[in-house]
Amino acid sequence: MAEVEEDPNAFAFQEDDHRGAYIFTASHPAENQAASAPQPSKRRRVSGKKRKSNMPDATPVGEELSDSDNGSGLFVSLFSGSESKEAIELRRRTFEKGWGDLLEGRIQRVLREANQNTLDEVGSFMWDAEAKLTADGEGASISKKIPAGFIITGPNIASQDLLFEQLAETLSDAKRAARVVRLRSAGAPNLKAALKKIINDATASLSERSEDDDIAEVSVGEDGRKHLNYDLEGLYAFLKARESRRVIIAFEDSEAFDSGLLTDLIVLFHSWQGRIQFSLLFGIATSVDLFQARLLKSTAQVLYGAQFDVVQADSVLESVFRSAVAGSQALLRLGPSLLQNLLERQKDQVAGIHVFISSLKYAYMCHFYANPLSVLLADDGLLDRKLLQPEHIEAIRSLGSFREHVEASVEARQLNHAQSLLDDDEYLISQILQQRQKRLDYLTELLRSLHLLTTTGLRPGSFTDLYVSALVNGVDLLSEDFSNVFDSARKLGPGEIISLITSLLNAIQAGSPDLDLQGWESDADELVTALSGIQDKVETLVTRAKQSGQPLKSKYSAQGKILRTTVVAQKVQLSHDSATLTDEDKAFTKAIDDLTELLSTNIYCPPANSLFLHEAWLYNSKSPYRDVFVPRPGTTFERALSRPHDYLNCSCCAKVDGTLAATMPTASILYHMYLETGSLVNVSDLWSAYYALVGDESDMGLDERSALFRFYRALAELRLMGFVKQSKKKADHVAKLKWL
Amino acid sequence: MPRRKAADDQPGEGSARKKQKRSIPVDPYQVPEDEEDPVPPKKRIRTSLRQQQFDDAPAFPSAEDEIQADDQQVEPTPTKKRRGRPPKNSTSIAGTPNGKVSTPAALRQKATTETPVRFKGLDTPSRRNNADRSARRKSARALIDRVVGGAISDDDEGEEEDIVREIYESSDDGEGGASQQEDQEGAAGADDTEGEGAPVAAAATAAATPSKRRGRPPGSVNRKRSPTPPPRDLPPYEQYFYQNKPGQTKTSNNSLTSLNLLTHEEYFSLLRQVKDPHAADVDFLQSLQAESFPQWAFELSQGFSPCLYGYGSKRRLVHQFATYLSTQPANKKSIVIINGYVRTTSIREILSTIGSAINPSHKIASGNPVAMVQNLFSLLLPSLDNTTPHLILMINSIDAPPLRRTATQSILAQLAAHPKISLVCSADTPDFHLFWDSGLRSSFNFCFHDCTTFAPFAPAEIDVVDEVHELLGRMARRVGGKEGVTFVLRSLPENAKSLFRLLVGEVLVVMDEGGGGGTVGDRGPGIEYRILYNKAVEEFICSSEMAFRTLLKEFHDHQIIESYKDSIGTELLSLPFRKNELEAILEDLMS
Repeated sequence: MAEVEEDPNAFAFQEDDHRGAYIFTASHPAENQAASAPQPSKRRRVSGKKRKSNMPDATPVGEELSDSDNGSGLFVSLFSGSESKEAIELRRRTFEKGWGDLLEGRIQRVLREANQNTLDEVGSFMWDAEAKLTADGEGASISKKIPAGFIITGPNIASQDLLFEQLAETLSDAKRAARVVRLRSAGAPNLKAALKKIINDATASLSERSEDDDIAEVSVGEDGRKHLNYDLEGLYAFLKARESRRVIIAFEDSEAFDSGLLTDLIVLFHSWQGRIQFSLLFGIATSVDLFQARLLKSTAQVLYGAQFDVVQADSVLESVFRSAVAGSQALLRLGPSLLQNLLERQKDQVAGIHVFISSLKYAYMCHFYANPLSVLLADDGLLDRKLLQPEHIEAIRSLGSFREHVEASVEARQLNHAQSLLDDDEYLISQILQQRQKRLDYLTELLRSLHLLTTTGLRPGSFTDLYVSALVNGVDLLSEDFSNVFDSARKLGPGEIISLITSLLNAIQAGSPDLDLQGWESDADELVTALSGIQDKVETLVTRAKQSGQPLKSKYSAQGKILRTTVVAQKVQLSHDSATLTDEDKAFTKAIDDLTELLSTNIYCPPANSLFLHEAWLYNSKSPYRDVFVPRPGTTFERALSRPHDYLNCSCCAKVDGTLAATMPTASILYHMYLETGSLVNVSDLWSAYYALVGDESDMGLDERSALFRFYRALAELRLMGFVKQSKKKADHVAKLKWL
Repeated sequence: MPRRKAADDQPGEGSARKKQKRSIPVDPYQVPEDEEDPVPPKKRIRTSLRQQQFDDAPAFPSAEDEIQADDQQVEPTPTKKRRGRPPKNSTSIAGTPNGKVSTPAALRQKATTETPVRFKGLDTPSRRNNADRSARRKSARALIDRVVGGAISDDDEGEEEDIVREIYESSDDGEGGASQQEDQEGAAGADDTEGEGAPVAAAATAAATPSKRRGRPPGSVNRKRSPTPPPRDLPPYEQYFYQNKPGQTKTSNNSLTSLNLLTHEEYFSLLRQVKDPHAADVDFLQSLQAESFPQWAFELSQGFSPCLYGYGSKRRLVHQFATYLSTQPANKKSIVIINGYVRTTSIREILSTIGSAINPSHKIASGNPVAMVQNLFSLLLPSLDNTTPHLILMINSIDAPPLRRTATQSILAQLAAHPKISLVCSADTPDFHLFWDSGLRSSFNFCFHDCTTFAPFAPAEIDVVDEVHELLGRMARRVGGKEGVTFVLRSLPENAKSLFRLLVGEVLVVMDEGGGGGTVGDRGPGIEYRILYNKAVEEFICSSEMAFRTLLKEFHDHQIIESYKDSIGTELLSLPFRKNELEAILEDLMS
């Protein structure tokens, strides 16, 4: 088959190709070879713009891959195939550790924790409603109503899944023994299907039924009676046998349900309420009012509801960001521009937190899959000298950060160091191995600075923005970016200064669990003592000021300035003058100055890309992310059709630059003509134009029939791609559908 | 005399020429209205402007103003105008049945602009610029003036006219050639080029034979459009509005009747013969794409679903990828390939195939697809201990019509979200990603790859001949021509056969009468539903309209008849066959 497939002129009839679905069996080893090994004779450079692979540097070599039968099968050998198996394996393990062990679980935990409040509220509401019900007795009015929780999930249906999963878990815990059934609009198109699903799920959750029951039309109750599988009687019998009466039904996307269906279901549940105790949950994207408007009044009256809000997507994003991107556990750092892109997409499009997580994962994948230097991120014990091949050394020497480092050391007159870096492999390796510790130090420094800075609360803006800007510009309180921090610090009163210092001390002591940052009191003796010194000083100043009855102020505070008006020679002179400061005030000013200076020395870290070898742990490439998650198929199609040379790199079409040429693939020619037409296309004229271009009298010299053959094919392709459709306006006309 | 006129009115240069040409066809209206209708000139201008905008000549209004100014300077001589009027009046009324009646003001306006120029030339001859007039230009002008003053007896000036035309045509490759080209460009892409197309030629013929005046209006339309060629660098949405402006769907009436369309047999024999000059490049491109297989496999293993999009058939690539995956040493997996392009693909078929891939001995009862998915998942449940294979779904053309329903897509998404199932798919349309809302997108967890292959679509993927014929509205293919009809009729009751025979006979009669009756668009001639019903009743084929409808429905179901309504709403029935086919069918039925 391989040969047949390769030859476009002989389309052998393949039965499988005409079947809707079939099980693939690989019985053609020959074809596989042809597929995985490109013919070297034909290897040519593709035009610069055409990206053959989304992951740069990846030069997978098929043959080698099939040789390596160990677990690293999925990772390919880099350095044009000369990377050693150990290095590949190490990259793979580092990836699995970095993503799978360290992050994935954390992210899931963060997401679950985010919903915890909602879960508790919903749970307590449900049990309260139950308690009320039992307290009031069967006859009371409330018992007739169905408890209903309205969960305002917001428009992002993608993130609902986890919430309802958790709800199902919490509500069906062993103690209460309630059955939870999750309904989605797609799964319940009509009343019968919905009931079937409810009964099926409610009874199946105990997994006592044999598989045959799935198929059987009827289910057998305990008393031997048979019930149709959409008869709630069957559910009743089932529940009675288990002395349980509660069934909770969650409508995940309540807006998508037909309102008639909802009404029917609610009325039905209500009529069964005495025997089976139903509770309902509605996931609502809009508002309860709108939801209520869709129901009949009589139906809405049987619901006894309460509204619950879910944590806002922003705050979920922020906590995921803190733990997975900024947190000290994150092995790989995402670069500022990529992060900026990801965050913008979260804001601009309702992409959902899952997209963010997928993108994050994809960045990890790209880095470890395609960057051979990612081995440097491996744990200390695993990375040794032997693993670093000459290729690694060479790659490191060609890095931008290597050059900068060498240049910097030359400027600093460390010529020996620079010389050894360039010439001595062993020296370089030892330097490389040291970098690991330097990276960790840097990260600690960065996170501590950020943590302190956010604790002071002096800088407005979210943590994510702060983190991104810190990666780009570093953190330097003396720089322009942070000028407002000191401005606001100086305006603080003595009380605020004290509480500020207290919270700083607390932060140093406790660290940040979000960021996985341990407290670093022991590392920061000086800072702690200095801070407490200032704190003590201010406190004594405050007490002294109280005694003297004068409020304590600094020269920065607004009251400290006095506007003086002096009349000199009938002219008014205005002058700012610092009010007379008492000694206490001066001391307080001094304390503030000390504090700001202390902060500026301690809250500091350089930009990430100033570090030697940052390429190994900082991933900042936007293009794979953009291509893979935000594709632009319209542009792709447009480009392929209008400039086929970009893809084909054929010699015949090289001369034309985005214009029409007779040698182009027929669909491209037709597409060019298509661009010039109005909204209605006369196929006859299209044909004559095409034939004039490629026909007998042109350079191509095609005869009419083969030209027609191509014309047919291209036209059918245009239709397949949705560019044209049949038009009834005129004979042999087609309507234009696309304006790319 | 005409030459003098031509020499004279140079100041406007090109624009002057333009306005003359433009106004020629409507000239006749001007004379009577100018004298009879006291509409104030200003109002007229406004209406005319609006008309012009509709006619899509953005550069026009200013020209019009200028002309208006001209108009006031010159004193028209009514007697001359009178002379020109009668013959032209008749032709242009005949030529423009109703379209132009609605905008008399505009026509009038143009007319007033036109005539004075002519008389200006006559009355106040000036030789100022005689020198810079090329002979060709003068002759063109002369020709135009001749057209304008068509009533001037041909005998009078026959000789002079011949000379003028000769000069004009001899210099066709010069400026005239250029302008002609320009005109054609303006009308590019199957716009109306009536016969000769080039307005210049039209002018010439019109000048020679005033009776051909009809040919002028399209020519002048072209002329008007040439200064504003269709804008090329507009953004797509602007293009859309530009091209969908009302009144802009002007295409020629050419049709493919003269062309012998391809049949399936011919198509397939050509398929074997015709060599694609790009075959090697396409193969090379594909081998480049194939280099990404390890990357895709990695993405698959990490729970992403690669989605391959781009122009060209990706079936072969997907197939190769499947082969590649199956040779991978990783733990047991089975691959199910789903061909979305097969028109009969159904979600049930897909699910039951998947079911048998998981466990060949277990058969999933077909029923509600949602329930089937549940059953599938329960089949996969015990597989957590690696006894059942990891399942890889490969979907060719996930955006093909059979899979387009939201329900289908959501089932596929459910499948893709299952930890034991991975998914690879290809998409052929440029807007495939609109199928999925954010919920589906996150279940699918797509990662998109540009896989433009340029590979030709296989016959299985796209039935080229059928597609094109359907596009052209030639649906006869559905039943396979005469044989198909015979086959269908064989299974129908006797009176259905009689009805069809009756219908064929009637349609043939209509065709013989000249094919004109009831033809709408590209359809064959039709016969009125009522008439056919009455005849059927007369021949005792059916007794009630219900029965008649039932019979027709059967034909409809097999697509051997078509029904449609004509412009006044009469229901017509027609047969999607050519005449010779119909005759053959009738012969068959009679025998």
